[in-house]
Amino acid sequence: MAESPSVKFLGLLRVLLRHGVDFLVVGGVAAQLEGAPILTLDLDILFDNSPENLDRLLGALGELKARYRDPAGRHIEPDRSKLETHRMHLLLTDLGALDLLGSIGNGLTYQDLAGRTVTYELGQDRVRVLELAAVIEMKKYANREKDRAVLPVLQRTLEMKDRLS
Amino acid sequence: MAQSPQPTAAGSSPDEILPDESPDGVDLGLIRWTLSLTPLERLELLQDWVDGLTELRNGRVTER
Repeated sequence: MAESPSVKFLGLLRVLLRHGVDFLVVGGVAAQLEGAPILTLDLDILFDNSPENLDRLLGALGELKARYRDPAGRHIEPDRSKLETHRMHLLLTDLGALDLLGSIGNGLTYQDLAGRTVTYELGQDRVRVLELAAVIEMKKYANREKDRAVLPVLQRTLEMKDRLS
Repeated sequence: MAQSPQPTAAGSSPDEILPDESPDGVDLGLIRWTLSLTPLERLELLQDWVDGLTELRNGRVTER
């Protein structure tokens, strides 16, 4: 079996930022940035699906040599029509697994959730991250086993953050 | 970057005794430590975990 590349979170974020992509970090990385110690093996982002942003996103995906994680091993690259029509894109890139989401939860888009974010500085870069309370709501909505498994940690972290603030 | 949990939580008084674990088994000490880190340090911590796990999954362990 081929070795699996380790995802490089900061590297992926920097490529997206360098291309000017409008996105929110969601999922496990958002939870970790918000202080919840959970493990995740990919970067999930919710992207703005405006035509201009799709251009920028496709530029970043080209640099990252993104292709779909296809169980049959076919080489299928994301393109504009797929980004416009599909809700979820599970990609493999030269910097590891990257999941692009056009909407999350009950069909919530980038615009719907842009007001529920925190901006964090990561060195020279600034990223917008879905706030922990919203991450918890999305996990509850998804309600998969892996989501339910991390909910106690997320909820305790939110309680502690509330006490500290 | 720090490599192990610190005993004192950010924002807590030195005399305050905080539980290390919640009734439902969540490691509160680890959460306190993670909250004491900067966002960049939190991301680096996650990267360390993923890199370590990937090395194990690929059957290769190096000195860290």
